Amino acid sequence: MINIYIGPLVLGLLLGFVLGTRIRDVPQSGLKFTAPVYLVFIIVAFIMAYALGPFPYYTDIPLASGFVATAVGIMIGKLTFGRGTKPQAEN
Amino acid sequence: MSTILKIFVFPAAMVIMCLGVLTILGGHITPGGGFQGGAMIAAALIFCLIVYGLKDSPIHLSHDFLAGVESIGALLFVFLGIAGLMFSGFYLYNLGVDIYHIVPAAIQNLFDYPDPTHAGILPYLNFAVGLKVMVGLTAVVIAFMGFKDYEKGVTESDPEELDYEEVE
Repeated sequence: MINIYIGPLVLGLLLGFVLGTRIRDVPQSGLKFTAPVYLVFIIVAFIMAYALGPFPYYTDIPLASGFVATAVGIMIGKLTFGRGTKPQAEN
Repeated sequence: MSTILKIFVFPAAMVIMCLGVLTILGGHITPGGGFQGGAMIAAALIFCLIVYGLKDSPIHLSHDFLAGVESIGALLFVFLGIAGLMFSGFYLYNLGVDIYHIVPAAIQNLFDYPDPTHAGILPYLNFAVGLKVMVGLTAVVIAFMGFKDYEKGVTESDPEELDYEEVE
């Protein structure tokens, strides 16, 4: 049975979610980051997490679980609250 | 800023943010901690601000957000310190570890950090410091960039009207 350590998962997801909610599409800038950008980001995040490996004494999974949790948190935050297009200077 | 930078920086900033969070989360067992991780996240945010500019940055940091996160970080740190004072008599006592065996088991379990090291409140303190440092360093750059735009706007209209007092 795999013993999952929830500490880094919860805190990573929380901080990633907070950061993800701040992501906005800004059409005025002429750039548009579409779904493939985020898909590539998730794939790169998993590869990096595998390359980084777990923290010392962590024997649950061979990944940096906090890294993956943060990447997933950023995506969840972006998809839930990060959809507005308000430019930075307005508030 | 060049188009290559504009395409590259936002995805890179997201990866740097993840590395910053990892540095915060490993602060109790690996080199790093709240300040270092917070500075890494701030670097990612500043990277976006410099390349895209204050108005067009894809990471939108409002004044309310910065003030809120900074306050939550400070309050969380103080709350953990006062919790130690309340339950053990020592400010910032590590309730989750309880090396002197002076707090009830329920309190110890409440403040325990669920990982193999059981570091108690240390990861939570790192988290609080990380929040504060992240928005603190970013706010400095935002203030400088905002002031630069303000100065440019005033000097274009009338150079004599540059009032530094108003910015404060």
